[in-house]
Amino acid sequence: MKFMNENIMRQAIHDAVIRSVTEISADAKALVRAALDRETNPTAVSMLSSMLENLDIAKNQDKAVCQSPGYPTTWVTYGDGNFPSFVKDVIGEAVAEATKKGYLRPSIVDPLTRHNPGNNTGEGVPNIEYEYIPGQEYVDFIISFKGCGAELGNAMKIFTTANLKLDKDFEGLKRFVLETAINAGGKPCPPFGIGIGIGGQMDIASKLSRKAISTRNWSDTNPDPLLARLEEELRDNINSLGLGAAGTGGDTVCLAVKIATAATHTAIAPVAINFHCWVARRAGIRIYNDGRVEKLL
Amino acid sequence: MEKHVMTMPLQEEELRKLKIGDVVYLTGHIFTSRDMGHLRLRSLAAEGKPLPKDFTGAAIFHAGPVCLKNEDGSWRLNVIGPTTSIRMEPHADFVGQLGAKAIIGKGGMDQGTLDACEKYGYVYLQAAPGCAAKLAQGVKRVVDVTWFELGMPEALWDLEVEEFGPLVVGMDTHQNSIYKNLKEAAFKNLDELYPEFI
Repeated sequence: MKFMNENIMRQAIHDAVIRSVTEISADAKALVRAALDRETNPTAVSMLSSMLENLDIAKNQDKAVCQSPGYPTTWVTYGDGNFPSFVKDVIGEAVAEATKKGYLRPSIVDPLTRHNPGNNTGEGVPNIEYEYIPGQEYVDFIISFKGCGAELGNAMKIFTTANLKLDKDFEGLKRFVLETAINAGGKPCPPFGIGIGIGGQMDIASKLSRKAISTRNWSDTNPDPLLARLEEELRDNINSLGLGAAGTGGDTVCLAVKIATAATHTAIAPVAINFHCWVARRAGIRIYNDGRVEKLL
Repeated sequence: MEKHVMTMPLQEEELRKLKIGDVVYLTGHIFTSRDMGHLRLRSLAAEGKPLPKDFTGAAIFHAGPVCLKNEDGSWRLNVIGPTTSIRMEPHADFVGQLGAKAIIGKGGMDQGTLDACEKYGYVYLQAAPGCAAKLAQGVKRVVDVTWFELGMPEALWDLEVEEFGPLVVGMDTHQNSIYKNLKEAAFKNLDELYPEFI
């Protein structure tokens, strides 16, 4: 069955890509503002004020918020008969347009030769994660351009039941997350978000960590009560370390912790920790089969 | 916390007076350089070949700008902000040998840089991360670009700046580092929150 609303979808996806590179997500912006309101460290006040001022300048002058375009990953879910086969083409066109206009610096290179073709594409880029959901009468499209200084702080560890410290409310896991946050310090452009993927094998935990912090609203509450409690405790304890905005000291270094899980083998508990800079450039839309478009992020 | 407006070429004597937490604004020329630029500078220096710019008293900005080309072939800056500096840690001593007197970046650097700051009299300046539109307001002109074949981010851009900042002294010439201090304090807190598993 040919999808009925191809033109509507093409336009909506194009607009979402452009929106994702020209502004930051409203939930992240509100959290930065709240962090400034309660900040007591003068250097951090200066840093957070600069961040909010920067958003205004970028908007008023129609410029990119950050010079780094990050790395684009897109999540697409679809149902029966509405597979959007043209998504990659539309993203490619929108990225080319955004690069030409100066919203995106050409920054995607060959991993070994470092050759930069100058158009922000390459083998495997833009990356798209498709998922088929039987019976779903809409297409969900979320694109995220995640900065790569943040990647330098990321960590992955294959835990066991013993060193997870299951018997002490997961203290082993919590210590690993906090150690990783301290070692990351100012590298991931704090105040950062942290995605944590737990389960599967190494590859699955890593993908979950990126998805958790890139596709969820940073102010939402995890529907799983255990995960919700861990997310809140980790965020508050990371902030209590005093690292602060920009990593130069202060009350808020972490805006949100988001955890996603998948079943794993009884011998292991893979944990991946994935930082996201405060510049949360992402956009999500839901396009119903009847052509209605809803904003998700 | 003192505010200083400094003009290039920077003078070692002035820099040695700075302390972590001081706020600095820079006026004059700054040169961008990051991973590939540092490697190329080092290989030229190792071969005894001339460098494209005089780094005496210079500020090296860990950054890759977004620039747009004008019809006459010149460039205009769109936005610019700091990249994560730790990647350039292996070049800390080389930067001192070049005669550069300031690094501008984000996230801080490590002990090798602290030692080089003390030895050569240069400082590490932290710019607000992710604030490229705001920082661009301090850039008056793109003077030129060298090694554009490395790609827009990795090329060496010569920028004329005026009161570029605010920049916070993150590492000074007296072995003081905001990042090192915070990290040590944070690990102490961590040991109280979640004692290490033995």
